[in-house]
Amino acid sequence: MDSLVAQYSRPMHAEEGQTYEDQQELSQMTPELSLKFALPPVASSASWLRAMTDDYSNPNCPIKIAHGTTTLAFRFKGGIIVATDSRATAGNWIASQTVKKVIEINNCLLGTMAGGAADCQYWLAFLGMQCRLHELRHKRRISVAAASKILANLVYSYKGMGLSMGTMCAGVTPQEGPALYYIDSDGTRLAGNLFCVGSGQTFAYGVLDASYKYDLSDEEALELGRRSILAATHRDAYSGGFINLYHVKEDGWVKHGFSDTNPIFWKTKLEKGEFSNVTADLV
Amino acid sequence: MASGYDRALSVFSPDGHVFQVEYALEAVKRGTCAVAVKGADIVVLGCEKRSAMKLQDTRITPSKICLVDTHVALAFAGLNADARILVDKARLEAQSHRLTVEDPVSIEYITKYVAGVQQRYTQSGGVRPFGISTLIVGFDPNDKTPRLYQTEPSGIYSAWKANAIGRSSKTVREFLERNHKNDLDREETIKLTVKSLLEVVQTGAKNIEIAIMAPGKGIEMLPLEDIEKYVESINTEKQEEAASRRPGRATGSGGTATLAARPGGERSE
Amino acid sequence: MSSEWPDTLAAAPGQYAACGRGEEHGLGVHWEVLLGITGKDFTIIAASKAAMRGATVLKASDDKTRALNSHSLMAFSGEAGDTVQFAEFIQANIQLYSMRNSMELSPSATANFVRGELASALRSRRPYTVNLLLGGYDEIADKPTLYWIDYLASLAPVPYAAHGYAQYYCLSLLDKHHHPDIDFAQGMKILRMCSEELKRRLPIDFKGLMVKIITKDGIREEEYADDQNVAVP
Repeated sequence: MDSLVAQYSRPMHAEEGQTYEDQQELSQMTPELSLKFALPPVASSASWLRAMTDDYSNPNCPIKIAHGTTTLAFRFKGGIIVATDSRATAGNWIASQTVKKVIEINNCLLGTMAGGAADCQYWLAFLGMQCRLHELRHKRRISVAAASKILANLVYSYKGMGLSMGTMCAGVTPQEGPALYYIDSDGTRLAGNLFCVGSGQTFAYGVLDASYKYDLSDEEALELGRRSILAATHRDAYSGGFINLYHVKEDGWVKHGFSDTNPIFWKTKLEKGEFSNVTADLV
Repeated sequence: MASGYDRALSVFSPDGHVFQVEYALEAVKRGTCAVAVKGADIVVLGCEKRSAMKLQDTRITPSKICLVDTHVALAFAGLNADARILVDKARLEAQSHRLTVEDPVSIEYITKYVAGVQQRYTQSGGVRPFGISTLIVGFDPNDKTPRLYQTEPSGIYSAWKANAIGRSSKTVREFLERNHKNDLDREETIKLTVKSLLEVVQTGAKNIEIAIMAPGKGIEMLPLEDIEKYVESINTEKQEEAASRRPGRATGSGGTATLAARPGGERSE
Repeated sequence: MSSEWPDTLAAAPGQYAACGRGEEHGLGVHWEVLLGITGKDFTIIAASKAAMRGATVLKASDDKTRALNSHSLMAFSGEAGDTVQFAEFIQANIQLYSMRNSMELSPSATANFVRGELASALRSRRPYTVNLLLGGYDEIADKPTLYWIDYLASLAPVPYAAHGYAQYYCLSLLDKHHHPDIDFAQGMKILRMCSEELKRRLPIDFKGLMVKIITKDGIREEEYADDQNVAVP
């Protein structure tokens, strides 16, 4: 009876005070940027992840993560060229030859994908969501600087926990013009004119650096992007498939095909006489 | 009178009022007046400064005009102590915004944030709303359009060409409505601000504070001598006006050449 | 809402469960050059322009410094990601201090604040692996200042300093040629000796130096030509 009385005779607003957590939630204007994932109950998630997924040191590891890529992007006077290959490998196995490694964040922003395919796909999709929210909240399109920083802060918050990403954000906005950023899972974020990322990056850099000028025409730039990826697919076993080519301009990006490397290789070889190490002669 | 509905914050009265929020507005009305006027390419904040007591050190007594970030200024009317908390939250958000997305805040964004904080304090338990209204002015990064917003204790925010808050704000707003024009130049904007404040400030320049924001520059507090010059020129103008108007009026009224009574002068506040 | 609101900007997010990040600072870390020289009325801060990742130079015009306020500049090197995150976190807090108090924190106060933040991070789950030089000009004492801070949060006020492999070459040079009352031209001359020695002996191209000067008038970037070849005798 006493408890019943107590229940109904409490002062009117006794329940009103809220816990600190509730208040935090109330006072948090926007939800926290990073989502809270369940983590495996181990001391060091990074080394645990490595033990589970590193097929290089342990060919029998239970999870084989899709890796291996060549991606590139460069700024020039006509905007930004973004080009990638399309091969996904899991260990020695070619898991797919038709991967879309350019992620369309919105009609002015592109992201590229190197490293863990799942990590890149998931977090770039998440970035797309954040960009749209920013657009709605601020009533104008997000700058490339801001978008890349959201991603960099996000991956930095997971630093040391096994994320594997090397990505580029390319876009043209009225405030900043053509802008290109490199972000990786260490938390590095760099603005620059030209980046190549992935296992085939060195091969792409070789061709790209040699012919790169800021004053390239649109056609020259597209051809240089295509040729650099071709070079990487030819020499890097973990790159190949199709060349995915984009041109980002002031009024949005334009796709310039998803084209098979094979005919392009043979066309380049036979018409221009390049790749002379490839012969059909028996020695 | 409100039979308990004014006791708890988060309880509506049967006719849909949240009394605590309305009482907060009363606190705003008791605060000293603040005015903001947009010109063609600057925006001016003006404040009524409470008369200092004899031993008060006016040089280091905090002002009603404060910087939220280098490009955003805020003036408030209402409870001084509440304002400090709100301004601090806004400053934190401004720096946090720079840290997370590299760009400085836009004026609308920080206004929305301030209004958002005020709103939350009308809908959570165990708290009291902020007893202040604010005028937030400034320029967006890489932009030359002057911006002016107002926020209220309820969390409402709105954009204005010119506005006043605090004591006798209605009088001042009506004055601004009569006298504001688009595309005022720098001198005209400052003058209109001072003139509108003189509607309610009887004691002249020493009780007025003026801050000017221009694109790409920090806040500029107008020195007292300059404010005095504006006040003087406004007063002579008014005298001339009164003098020139007299012949048209009833002749032989023999009025002394004093200032025409200001509407604000008749109010007992 | 309780009366608790954050005193300072929250530190970079690192609230995720135990993560023993192997402190495998990439070998690249030690190749980053940071130099600081004070003189009569100036402090010079120089930082290498290369941003390296693995076997690749990703950028040859990287700026490894952040201005904290009008009279202090922080140069940083160390673990990728940590460096910029920590520097910008400090920068935001120093700026916040300026906004709140309508005055700027002095270089010595700044240095001690930075040290404190680094020290408390060091004892957390996720320390920042960052080495710092803090160049400033103390407007009240009317003196140039330089602070050396390493990733273990040691703080020392010094007349000249270096981080990374650059220490091994430059400190001896600076010991020999530096005097507290040198003028700006002499300071730049000593810097030139240092950068030429580094070019001569460091096996990795650090892509030249970005040079910033702090004087009583504030911070400015100094044009620094480094295209000439230096021969090994």
